Amino acid sequence: MRFEHWFYTLPLRLRSLFRRQQVEQELDDELLYHLERKIEESIARGVKPEDARYAALRAMDGLEQRKEECRDMRRTNGIENVIQDLRFGVRTLAKTPGFTTAVVLTLGLGIGANTAIFSVVNAVLLQPLPYPDPDRIVQLMLSSPEWAPGKNVTAINEPEFIIWRGERQAFKEVAAYDSGTGVNLAGVGEPEQIKALRVSADYFRLFGARVEIGRTFSADEDRPGGRRTVVISNGLWRRRFGGDRGLVGKTLILGGEPTQVIGVLSTGFAPDPAAEIWLPLQVDPGSTKGGHYLRAVARLQPGITVEMAKAQMKPANDQYVHDFMVGSRRGTTEGFTAEPMRDAVISDVERALLLAVGAVGFVLLIACANVANLLLARSLGRTRELAIRAALGGTRRRIVAQLLIESVVLAFAGGVLGLPLGYLGLRALLAMSPGNIPRIGPHGSAVTLDWHVLAFALLVSVCTGIIVGFLPALTAAETELSTTLNENTTRTGASVRQIKSRSVLVIAEMALTLVLLAGAVLLVRSLSALAGVNPGFDAHNVLTLQMSINDSRFRTTTAVADLIANAERRVQNLPGVIALAATYSLPLEDQLGGPFVIEGQPDHSYPVDISWVSEHYFEVFRIPLRRGRPFTNLDTSLAPPIVLINETLDQGFSRGSRWTAPLSWRNGNPLGERITFSKGEGPPFEDRTREIIGVVGAVRNIALGREANPMVYIPIGQLPDALTNLNGHDLRLVWTVRTKMDPFSFRTAIERELRMASGGLPVAEVRTMSQAMANSMAREHFNAMLLTVFAGLALLLAAIGIYSVMAYAVQLRTKEIGIRIALGARPGDVSKMVVIEGMTLAFVGVGFGVLAALVLTPLMRSLLYGVGPADPGALALVAVVLSAVALLATYIPAHRATLIDPILTLRWE
Amino acid sequence: MSRPSDLVQGTLDLLLLKILALESLNGWAISQRLKQVSGDVLQVSDGSLYPALHKLEQEGWITAEWKPSENNRRAKFYSLTRLGRKQFEKEAASWTRISQAITQVVQLEEA
Repeated sequence: MRFEHWFYTLPLRLRSLFRRQQVEQELDDELLYHLERKIEESIARGVKPEDARYAALRAMDGLEQRKEECRDMRRTNGIENVIQDLRFGVRTLAKTPGFTTAVVLTLGLGIGANTAIFSVVNAVLLQPLPYPDPDRIVQLMLSSPEWAPGKNVTAINEPEFIIWRGERQAFKEVAAYDSGTGVNLAGVGEPEQIKALRVSADYFRLFGARVEIGRTFSADEDRPGGRRTVVISNGLWRRRFGGDRGLVGKTLILGGEPTQVIGVLSTGFAPDPAAEIWLPLQVDPGSTKGGHYLRAVARLQPGITVEMAKAQMKPANDQYVHDFMVGSRRGTTEGFTAEPMRDAVISDVERALLLAVGAVGFVLLIACANVANLLLARSLGRTRELAIRAALGGTRRRIVAQLLIESVVLAFAGGVLGLPLGYLGLRALLAMSPGNIPRIGPHGSAVTLDWHVLAFALLVSVCTGIIVGFLPALTAAETELSTTLNENTTRTGASVRQIKSRSVLVIAEMALTLVLLAGAVLLVRSLSALAGVNPGFDAHNVLTLQMSINDSRFRTTTAVADLIANAERRVQNLPGVIALAATYSLPLEDQLGGPFVIEGQPDHSYPVDISWVSEHYFEVFRIPLRRGRPFTNLDTSLAPPIVLINETLDQGFSRGSRWTAPLSWRNGNPLGERITFSKGEGPPFEDRTREIIGVVGAVRNIALGREANPMVYIPIGQLPDALTNLNGHDLRLVWTVRTKMDPFSFRTAIERELRMASGGLPVAEVRTMSQAMANSMAREHFNAMLLTVFAGLALLLAAIGIYSVMAYAVQLRTKEIGIRIALGARPGDVSKMVVIEGMTLAFVGVGFGVLAALVLTPLMRSLLYGVGPADPGALALVAVVLSAVALLATYIPAHRATLIDPILTLRWE
Repeated sequence: MSRPSDLVQGTLDLLLLKILALESLNGWAISQRLKQVSGDVLQVSDGSLYPALHKLEQEGWITAEWKPSENNRRAKFYSLTRLGRKQFEKEAASWTRISQAITQVVQLEEA
């Protein structure tokens, strides 16, 4: 039945689509035959030929309309109409190349910018994480009001990992890993520092990593004292070992110790943090270590939600607080919690990206307003064409459809142009982007124009076409038939309505532009405020180099102190070098911390940041001593334990670390007080009791935009051996060198001396502290630049918008202005009139813009520094700039108006 | 789209199918035949005839071919397809059912 139906109808459909002319001809012939027969018949009955013809046509009741009805029966009429409209649209647009180019360029810019930003959003926010079933992976975290008020922290300790690993009902697998460090690979070729991550046994299964050869860690190898084994990445295997399939089972010298390779991973495993080798974490199941140096992830059991998992961790959480939050930790809290891993990864960057999306959306809206403006102007010139179409049986719907199809064709062309523009913009964007946007891969390689992005560009193009075409199409279709056809000129009536629509568009453009400008100015002011901050240290002429001392020779504090003394002797002897110091952490990078108790006040503990430094650290960074005495070469591990504190701690400010009780020094003076870190936690974290010997200046160690945390400096040569040993595994030693001139010029000499001092250990990540400063502002820099570019684009478009409306208004009123001039109006009066009109629009737009900015800028509060969202100065500045640009754009048509020749205009028509 | 006001919706289709079931005809001849068989009671305007024919053709119920007409000029002749015959039978049956029902109602004796 269905088949038979198609047997008859399919050929008809195809004919109507592809042999349209023939079908039309047949329709004509058929009706003509009928008319002729009818006429013949009437004539035969004695009717006059003229009358017979007229009667036959009347009997048809509108020949053209009947034809259209027959066409409607063809079912393919919708498609035919679209094709016809498309052809007609392309033809019409080709006839006005100037107009078409302007529109396509404007839309191309808007769509291109949106495509570029969307492709970043796509890679960072929309793409699932590159693991199997990524939605089931959660980051296990701690809510700790003392450490990080208002947000969850990812740093956890060993007992917490052990407890979570036991939550079998909630979690299928739980894996822990440290923050990654460098390990020296020796034995084959040049010694090299390789990025290493220590992970628990379930890590690879949880993330779905597959092995190329061999296997990953067994539970036995993940126990303390387990065999020394290593899993290596596919990249390192190819790069360093030439893809040798016999590598598994062989022994490498890693960190000075023989380690057996047990597996090579397949390509395509892209974990965060990235690493080239993985070592077993080997956490003691009975661990009571309080140090938060691990991160943990878990895969949820089937049917378990994040909320359920959180609820299931609650009893264990209570038990943990009871068992572990004792001694110096008493009174602080650590709540077990979890977030989908995706949220944890992107939480930092989400707001900045959404800001970019908003900004670029505004640019597109402004571009749309401009194009709608141009289309309105154009449709006025076509009023008669449209009126004639309506008179010939074109329904209102058909005409609106025709105009919309035209604007969609334009937007589509804009999209085609916008894609390559967007791609170029994207590459430029990524080249300038700070290195700390998650998930975009090295140099943004993970951001590509995949089908999501193409689909987005297509969707935006079509929507843009409909949006820009809607107002002009409706305005055009509303035009009164009879009045238009009777008008001798096209330049009256409807034009006034047009000016109104176009004024609304210009006001909207002005308002949107003002919001973007305000955002850009706020970000630029934040950036300059940030750049003007005194960080508390002198970053100029400081070189930093990282060295992994995860080596059997450097397990004790004395060994490390000797290494440092040796390096000091060698490097400080280099001409041009002022001082060398060693530490485990740098300002503006991840900070280490711990809680201390003051002797005689065992009930309160105070978490602060800790830095382990060698003697010349304060000379290298030029951190001033405020009171007391500095470290000397006499403060060895044999001397009484001492500590320096910073001004913030001296004054008793807690800042980022929330204390359970306010800190007050006895006698109001910290000098001479004795404090103990991690009291009661046991090795390796429990420190010796130290005497405060001095106060140094505060350093902005978290970020330039954050006030300095309370902080202590402990001589690196006075650490308990257990802590030195742990640091050797988890951290890299950072060498810092102050030089007399450009520190990079000393790089080779310093590297050589350090290698000799350490008996051949390589250094990596050689940077200047000025670079580190710039990096710490990279994101702010990027945001400010991005918004400035978009705001500039918006300003340009808005200027074009107001210019085109005023130029059009002047043109429309040529006659009126001519009469005014003829009646004695001076050029000044005329231009004043035009300028006042234009500026009225601009001011209304600016007014709305200021209101919108007051509503919208508070959304970017978290991205600002040193300036409030509704900063009156910034708003005033952008209002003035925008008005000035509007004035300039209005002045050109105003000036042109004064040049109107009254004689010519009056004669015209 | 205008429909003949004096014809129940859908009946024009039925009439056309019936006429074409008897023989294959061109549009003009169909209009003449309609007038003739219904004795001018059923007025179908020339205007609504052709859209109706084109609709039947597009449904696959009738098919058309160009042939010389009575006066030896080329005209478009329509004839019924197998599908059209089925459709005619269906519509005829339902017409009979409905008209009988209506007749019964109309002829009800007033009590």
